[in-house]
Amino acid sequence: MATKDVKINDPMRDPVTGENRVIAPGHTLRSVTEKISRIVLTSHTPLGWFGGIMVASGVATLLAICVTWLFLRGVGIWGITQPVAWGFAIINFVWWIGIGHAGTLISAILLLFKQTWRNSINRFAEAMTLFAVVCAGMFPLIHVGRPWLGYWLFPYPNTMNVWPQFRSPLLWDVFAVSTYATISVVFWYIGLVPDFGTMRDRAKSKVGQYIYGMVSLGWRGSVRHWVRYETASLLLAGLATPLVLSVHTVISFDFAVALLPGWHTTIFPPYFVAGAIYSGFAMVITLAVPIRKFYHLEDMITIRHIENMGKVMLTTGLIVAYGYSMEVFMAWYSASHWEYFMMWNRMFGPMGWSYWVLITCNIALPQLLWLRAWRRSPSLMFLMSLIVNTGMWFERFVIVVTSLTRDYLPSSWGTYKATRWDYGTFVGTLGLFTVLFFLFIRFVPMIPMQEIKVLLPQSKVREEAEPLPEAGD
Amino acid sequence: MSMLPEKENQNQMSASEPGQRLTLEEVRAKLKGQTGKKYWRSLDELADKPEFGEMLSREFPQQASEWIDPVTRRGFLKLAGASMALAGVVGCTKQPDEPIYPYIKQPEDLVLGRPVYFATAHPFPMGALPLLVKSDAYRPIKLDGNPEHPMAHGSSDAMTQGTLLALYDPDRSQHILYRGETRNWPVFQAAFRGMLADKKASGGGQGLYFLSATVTSPTLAAQWKKAQASYPNAKFLQYEPVNRDSAYAASKQAFGDYLDAQYKLDQANVILALDAEFLSGIVHPGFNKLAGDWAAKRKLDGTDEMNRLYAVESWTTTTGLKAEHRLALRASEVGPFAAAILAQLNGGAAPAGYSWTDEQQKYLAALVKDLKANAGKSVVIPGEQQTPEVHLAAIAINQALGNAGKTVVYTETVNPMPSIQGDDLKTLIADLNAGKVDWLVIMNTNPVYGAPVDLDFITAMSKAKHTVHLGQYLDETGNVAEWHINGAHYLESWSDARSYDGTVSIIQPMIDPLYGGKSEHDILQQMLDDPDTSAYGAVRATWKQQLSAKGDYEFNWRKALHDGFLADTAFPAKSVAAKNIAVNVSAPAAADSIEVIFRPDLNLYDGRYANVGWLQELPRPVTNLSWDNAAMMSYGTLDKLKVEESDVIEISVNGSKVLAPVLAVPGHADNVITLTLGQGRRNAGRVGSGMGFNAYDARTSSAPLIAANAQVKKTGNKFEFAVTKSHYIDHRAMYAGGDGSGTHSLEGNETLTRGIIRYATLDEFRKDPDFAHQGEGHDAPEPDTSMFASYRYDKNAWGMSIDMNSCVGCNACIVSCYAENNIAVVGRHQVKVGRNMQWLRIDTYFEGDLAAPRAHFQPMACQHCENAPCEQVCPVGATVHTPEGLNTMVYNRCVGTRYCSNNCPYKVRRFNFLLYSDYETESLKLMRNPDVTVRSRGVMEKCSYCVQRISAAKIAADKGNRQVRDGEIVTACQQACPTSAITFGNINDRSSKVAKLKAQTRSYGVLEGNNTRPRTTYVAEVLNVNQELAAALGEGSPQQNG
Repeated sequence: MATKDVKINDPMRDPVTGENRVIAPGHTLRSVTEKISRIVLTSHTPLGWFGGIMVASGVATLLAICVTWLFLRGVGIWGITQPVAWGFAIINFVWWIGIGHAGTLISAILLLFKQTWRNSINRFAEAMTLFAVVCAGMFPLIHVGRPWLGYWLFPYPNTMNVWPQFRSPLLWDVFAVSTYATISVVFWYIGLVPDFGTMRDRAKSKVGQYIYGMVSLGWRGSVRHWVRYETASLLLAGLATPLVLSVHTVISFDFAVALLPGWHTTIFPPYFVAGAIYSGFAMVITLAVPIRKFYHLEDMITIRHIENMGKVMLTTGLIVAYGYSMEVFMAWYSASHWEYFMMWNRMFGPMGWSYWVLITCNIALPQLLWLRAWRRSPSLMFLMSLIVNTGMWFERFVIVVTSLTRDYLPSSWGTYKATRWDYGTFVGTLGLFTVLFFLFIRFVPMIPMQEIKVLLPQSKVREEAEPLPEAGD
Repeated sequence: MSMLPEKENQNQMSASEPGQRLTLEEVRAKLKGQTGKKYWRSLDELADKPEFGEMLSREFPQQASEWIDPVTRRGFLKLAGASMALAGVVGCTKQPDEPIYPYIKQPEDLVLGRPVYFATAHPFPMGALPLLVKSDAYRPIKLDGNPEHPMAHGSSDAMTQGTLLALYDPDRSQHILYRGETRNWPVFQAAFRGMLADKKASGGGQGLYFLSATVTSPTLAAQWKKAQASYPNAKFLQYEPVNRDSAYAASKQAFGDYLDAQYKLDQANVILALDAEFLSGIVHPGFNKLAGDWAAKRKLDGTDEMNRLYAVESWTTTTGLKAEHRLALRASEVGPFAAAILAQLNGGAAPAGYSWTDEQQKYLAALVKDLKANAGKSVVIPGEQQTPEVHLAAIAINQALGNAGKTVVYTETVNPMPSIQGDDLKTLIADLNAGKVDWLVIMNTNPVYGAPVDLDFITAMSKAKHTVHLGQYLDETGNVAEWHINGAHYLESWSDARSYDGTVSIIQPMIDPLYGGKSEHDILQQMLDDPDTSAYGAVRATWKQQLSAKGDYEFNWRKALHDGFLADTAFPAKSVAAKNIAVNVSAPAAADSIEVIFRPDLNLYDGRYANVGWLQELPRPVTNLSWDNAAMMSYGTLDKLKVEESDVIEISVNGSKVLAPVLAVPGHADNVITLTLGQGRRNAGRVGSGMGFNAYDARTSSAPLIAANAQVKKTGNKFEFAVTKSHYIDHRAMYAGGDGSGTHSLEGNETLTRGIIRYATLDEFRKDPDFAHQGEGHDAPEPDTSMFASYRYDKNAWGMSIDMNSCVGCNACIVSCYAENNIAVVGRHQVKVGRNMQWLRIDTYFEGDLAAPRAHFQPMACQHCENAPCEQVCPVGATVHTPEGLNTMVYNRCVGTRYCSNNCPYKVRRFNFLLYSDYETESLKLMRNPDVTVRSRGVMEKCSYCVQRISAAKIAADKGNRQVRDGEIVTACQQACPTSAITFGNINDRSSKVAKLKAQTRSYGVLEGNNTRPRTTYVAEVLNVNQELAAALGEGSPQQNG
């Protein structure tokens, strides 16, 4: 990691190790609290925030309209048809769930691996997870033909004496996603408790004190509290870690378990997980770059963060690329006519364009991340994050739609054309996500204060026995 | 007006003297010219007469005049009370006793929920189809062929199945209209009879014209014969746009009389179809029998002999595609080709003046050789839509081959009053234009829509003084007629009809007329002395003599109703020899000019079924086009005209023009544009109006079948078809799995590679009876390779076998399934998107060069897999396996994730994306099968193997403490099939028919390699290819191709 050409005067570099700093020098415990809590506790909401949430709410209203019409008329307002019975709804579901994964990875796995650079992006990455799960979780419910009976997917005791059908991957989805949502909420909330305590103490308004007082659950910052807090965090991180791998694995089973050429493949679980993290990190960058600019948080979300995330994207992107190439290889190597035709159709069939969009966005362009300069440029990384998320959306499109358009019986081949309601619903969820995020940055400290403080030199002083080089890690 | 009681007495008195009846017309006549005081005096004078009172009460039966008085409270209450009482009285009016005898399955009494079956017949211009109607609570809910009738053996066809929906069509005309205002029957009767009385007195009916649909009813003919005695100068003409003029003209020339040709395909080894669609539906007379007999000789059941079919045709039909050897010729070339066959048979050379291509000559030579070799055991069938010359040539060829009297016999015509309808119409138009027509009564035909465009029927019609239209719909003609009489559906009225072999069926009504419709019998009866004799009386009178001759009349009548036909009434073969059979064919137009041919639509016929949603939505055979019609042409013509599919073109022919979208059809003859009739209706109803284009706009009286020298112009517009299956050209190079030709169908190539279609020539089959299991991936994996345990079936295990050799792709099964399973019609847009709901479809695959393909028809519905992919993925267990091996949908449990559909390799599941079923229209509720759920929005559905029929049979078997007998359960598709291609039964029972079929070496499952273990299996096709011809044309055998 170390680089030789250290510019001595660069404040963002550690003069000892030559590494990029996780946090800019000069911050004190007070300044950190000051800086982060001010965003929330200010009585002066920036106009930009209002403007942003208004636009986002407008877009979210589109979702409300689309879903209302959907419930009134039925899923036929979408482009789904025979043979493509799953369309945007499932694509969006997988896409959103995938995006959520980065948050969990950052908050859980990187915590376990003691990657302290994660601290400053942890909170909002996890908020992103939550909101992505909200958007994702909506789709399985609204995409069914009779959404008012969606609860039949849950194993609950009922007078009909019927259980769900446990062989169905959709049922596994229900468990996977609901578990994931629950753990994510709890983990996020536990992490917020000490910060809510701080907010309670610093809030000037009665309402603020009251609400933050309620949600801080009587946090006093005693050592006993901190011990329990740390234990809980570790335990939850331990619980959440397998979820990072399992949730998307289960979702990939929706496809992998099916008989359909293009779905029926064992490579899906790992490449779905890698793809999820890939798109999730892209989304973190999409969010982090404007926020750090707008709220002047360059000190806490530093170039180091951006660059690290670029590296993660590069790695997961390569795993995904390996997955794609294996699909192509197996189509040939399996000598299965179905696989061979599926791959030919995916590349050169009537919807072949979508495959090449996917390859361009997910494999070709992200190779630019090998360039250090690219990784260190927030604006270029922002651009790359948009490209990758487009690519990842198309990955799901290719898997879901292209495979379905031409399957076993040539008589049943068809096509798929999304309607305005499909687009409206998708764009609407982007709006909903953004609204939730705006609310989050306004009312919740978006960077965990107590975790940032851990990174300050002040907090290291007490650990004199520790060897110094690990401090910045 | 206070003298009501007296008036009623007078009424009773006058009613006993029918001779003195007064009509409204007469009252008007008497008052005519009177004004002022005089008018009122005359009125008073009239009012004192008893006849007037009687007339008044006929006009206003509820004594509506009472309301003219200022209403007193007492009076009002009295009247209100009386109306209540009268309403009851009216409701209990004793209907004339017209008993329908007897039940086929005799219940003790009506048991609700238990259907009863009645025999009747569907009158169709090409010959009636005898029916057995399932009636639930006295509502006909399913039509099927009469299994005991020699013509159909229980099979039916798409259009007949569709007439059920036509019965309950909410858009049917419901009132008698006079210039657009509602009237009732007595008013019309009065006007009509008044006119008749005048006509009878003066000129014997001069100026009275009837224009009727093709007559198939002997009773109608008898009524007319009787009427003509009193009205010798009245004219009865027939016209339908699709008629048998060519056949009649040819037979008139050859035999001097109108005769019907009956083809005996059970005795024919070699069949040549000259543009004849005898396997494509009842557009061809005698379809059910012809198709059944043809298929019976292809079952390879205990024999390895088959018949062989040659087809020479201009557009692509299922008949041609089922032929071993098909030759696409322009319609105008078929005549010369037939003449060439005749010439070669007679030892001469082909007539000069036309040069055949190499390929055509080879075909001709091989065909002639084959025909000669099978003299007396071959048959040539001319197409109904071909010219008289072709019919004449067919008569001559059959005569030359010695087939006449063996494989073809000539009988009296089904139409008791045969005529050349084109001439009939011309006569009528001439008389109309000459002002000779006072009254024009149009019965069950729609000339304003369907008459040749150059005759300008609507203008001519306006020259008639009075016009009457009888029809089930207020159609184009009804709209311009002075009187419109709402017609009765054939399931609502008494009549009789002959099937094509001449066997008489009594048409008995299944339901009281829903809207009080009248039939043509009621109209003609007005001309007779007993105008109030119902159709029932008329029909009984017709057969009284014949039935009395064989014993007790009542007994025989009841037996006829019960059986559905009068035994031994088939026409005897006439021993006639064709005399004047010199075939003078006109030379076809220049080979590179475009000709237009007009064909009846296989779903809508001449347009009469345009408002039947089932038939509109039913994908047409070959093209899979639903809802619209198209200008159909070959890929070559497409290139030549420099147009693309979906382009809207303007076709000008003989001075008339029509705009039509282009659809390319594999195998279509080059330089021919086929236009199907029946679309472009303006007044069909909510379903049919405005669909497609009206091909009649380009059809002239001089060229109703083939129009030469058409001009085509591109308009630049596009039209998106609702096609349920498109054909993609295989552009793949060799290395990518294609054949590199660029002219084959991608699906066709893939289908053969994937082993979905397997077939062999007869020689190959003889050499290797197990051919269907040779080849890569053609064998099913071992049953134990599944993760899940296999089911055990101790008692019944239902299964189906479909004979690919027999299926002719006629679509009868699909419409039958519609009726049986309450399948929804979704509309053109939804079909375009791909959401058609048919549980059963006929997959058509084109193999080889799309210019001259071989096609395979594969009926595809739920395969009821043993190891069903759908069952494993449903999260709520809404699709489950029954202990008898059915894969069932539990509609109530379905939440609509559609995962099952995605995982179904056969894509046979259908989803209610929107609320497709009609929950609103009352009349449609009557039609539904009460044993099948009407599916709501958001629910998956699919073929259930007609589980309701299985249950019914099981209940019956349980009651009798026995097993379900083989053949006791007949699925709706199986029942409709004219070729018995579908067999259903218990595969656990080794002796069942289906088990035996499945044990055949040719039996295979589609996509068996997936280990789905489908319960529906297919019996592979075997083609009796003429090796010599195949070698001459360089056609490979299927094994090489596949």
